[in-house]
Amino acid sequence: MKKWSKSDLDKIRASREPDRDWIKVGMSTCGIAAGAEAVFEYLRDEVARRGLPIEVKKCGCLGMCYAEPLVEVRAAGLPQVIYGQVNRELARLIVENHLVEKKLVSDHIYSFNREE
Amino acid sequence: MDKKYILVKDTRRAGSNQTEHFAGLLAAKIQASPAAEAVQVVRAADIGFYDQGLVLKFLPGGPVYLNVSEADLDRVVRETVVGGRVLEDLAAAGTARQLRVVLRNCGVINPENLEEYIRRDGYRALSRALFEYTPDKVIEEFKKSGLRGRGGAGYPTWLKWHLTRSVPGAEKYVICNADEGDPGAYMDRSILEGDPHSVLEGMIIAGYAIGANHGYFYIRAEYPLAIERIGKAIEQARERGLLGTGILGSDFNFEVDIRLGAGAFVCGEETALIASIEGKRGTPRPRPPYPSVSGLWGKPTSINNVETFANVPVVMTRGGDWFAGIGTEKSKGTKVFAVTGKVKNSGLVEVPMGVTLRQIVFDIGGGVRSGKKIKAVQTGGPSGGVIPEDRLDTPVDYENLQKLGSIMGSGGMIVMDEDDCMVDIAKFYLGFCVEESCGKCAPCRIGTYQLLKILERISEGEGRSEDLDRLRLIAQAMQKASLCGLGQTASNPVLSTLNYFETEYREHIQAKRCRSFKCRDLLTYSIIQSKCKRCRQCFLNCPVQAISGDREVGFYIQLDKCIKCGKCFEVCKFNAIARE
Ligand SMILES: Cc1cc2nc3c(=O)[nH]c(=O)nc-3n(C[C@H](O)[C@H](O)[C@H](O)COP(=O)(O)O)c2cc1C
Repeated sequence: MKKWSKSDLDKIRASREPDRDWIKVGMSTCGIAAGAEAVFEYLRDEVARRGLPIEVKKCGCLGMCYAEPLVEVRAAGLPQVIYGQVNRELARLIVENHLVEKKLVSDHIYSFNREE
Repeated sequence: MDKKYILVKDTRRAGSNQTEHFAGLLAAKIQASPAAEAVQVVRAADIGFYDQGLVLKFLPGGPVYLNVSEADLDRVVRETVVGGRVLEDLAAAGTARQLRVVLRNCGVINPENLEEYIRRDGYRALSRALFEYTPDKVIEEFKKSGLRGRGGAGYPTWLKWHLTRSVPGAEKYVICNADEGDPGAYMDRSILEGDPHSVLEGMIIAGYAIGANHGYFYIRAEYPLAIERIGKAIEQARERGLLGTGILGSDFNFEVDIRLGAGAFVCGEETALIASIEGKRGTPRPRPPYPSVSGLWGKPTSINNVETFANVPVVMTRGGDWFAGIGTEKSKGTKVFAVTGKVKNSGLVEVPMGVTLRQIVFDIGGGVRSGKKIKAVQTGGPSGGVIPEDRLDTPVDYENLQKLGSIMGSGGMIVMDEDDCMVDIAKFYLGFCVEESCGKCAPCRIGTYQLLKILERISEGEGRSEDLDRLRLIAQAMQKASLCGLGQTASNPVLSTLNYFETEYREHIQAKRCRSFKCRDLLTYSIIQSKCKRCRQCFLNCPVQAISGDREVGFYIQLDKCIKCGKCFEVCKFNAIARE
């Protein structure tokens, strides 16, 4: 594999990621212990089955371990939100309501006070 | 027009949850307004504010309203929803907020994707160090930053690097201490799992600064996912020339290996850790010489904690001055805490140094889960102590926590409420230290055991009046005479509970009473016949059949059979079980 130089890193940084929609599932030990793997697999398969233009990704721990599994959704036209204690049923609602109908799902949003 | 969203949550601690009611009411009012089509009202599960009445949060980017009353709703709809104006009297003023420096990428990037890390400024710090800074200038930047070690003792990072650099010799080492063994602490695990490249980058920079060409990650074997992810990160870095010879085209060479710890707490202590990497039994040795002079294989070695390393790239990219602008006079930057115990939102919290314990527990942690009164907060694990409720307004930094008889430690923070008995807590930590003491030095090996025996005696109702003095005496001897930090600090949980909660100890000894109902031997359960409805729940649930009787004659607890597990107390719906 090609070894990178300083300018290669600069090039990668300059090539901004395409502005696409994504779903992230927290897949650190805390998330996995709470069942994140099944949620990830369901979302990945369901998004593929429906052919939705959204990427399903894994990420590390968001910190809100008590609300694991956590799923963060960024879909154009809706605010970026985090759903907590996601199980298969809620994952289905996220796909149907949030992704397809473009509505936030009540009772499961964990809105934390943090700054980036 | 873009659609707007209003999150609604009733955050009152007491009373029935009215979220649904308020959300419905608000939605109806909006339905009847000109904004009907443009707004969705959403019930939130958590809105980031606690005990602030009805909270409304406008998305995207809008204000947060606290303590909204039903009477305010018309105004909110008219002014904010339709008119787009902020109602200043309802808007939330600044409460304690998290600040993500160490956890900047955790939960944001895919930890197994190197390019995602690079796009978030990853390896920019390394490029800068290698091509724009001399090693001494790197160390200078860290001196400016005021970064101190996050592994417990808070030793200035720049000084450790400077000392290691100053010792002559071509062969030096960097070690990342990822042994994290305090009960309740898992910050380092999360960082390694969520953002392994930041730790690796920090380590390579440390290598450059001190003149080392080899690094070791010492990770406990109980952290398989962290091991896997740091392993992948190392492999990716190697493939792309971020590790190896001539890193990024510079003339700096650096290699990294992983060593697994078998999960002994003492192996987190630096000299024991070094012995363990060398293949010897993991026991500490006297210092000096410090590892900076004679460390791994007898060579100058800098050993730093995971979180310390995760701070390193940020200090390099944003500058030491920027970093020094966060925190208090002597403690700079942020600290990650693993907040657990009786807190509502257990999890990882990263705050600027200087935030108070109360802000961490209540503003961010959401307060005590049960709604009971908070009794204390434990920091620093087995080397730390409890901080009572009336000291919770202390700003968190290294010096303040030490003054309170605890330590910052690596960042475990356990919230305790009225159901936690302070003798029991001390007993728990001492039990841990007895298990984990390596046995090499007598003060620790014997001292921890004797402390535990006395604590057990007190909790069993066999305490003697001279026991408290004896605890203090043994504790003092251990502090002075133990070989390593384990023994020197193992008595902190005893001393701090004794210091702040001596009455609880005295109650156990003199009145044979445990006010938190934790010490089983001091409890007696009985059935209050006048309240008993003879529903049989206690009878059916008792695991040892210690309850006899029937619906005709009533039920009775046979004290000689009762194991005081409290099951009957829990299941009785009529408060007919007395616990004394
Ligand atoms: C019993 C004992 C256990 C320790 N465990 C850890 C640990 O798990 N992780 C850690 O970073 N430091 C631990 N330390 C502190 C280390 O000895 C050392 O001070 C630290 O790794 C230095 O890193 P820092 O300067 O970045 O804080 C422990 C110390 C003692 C006495």
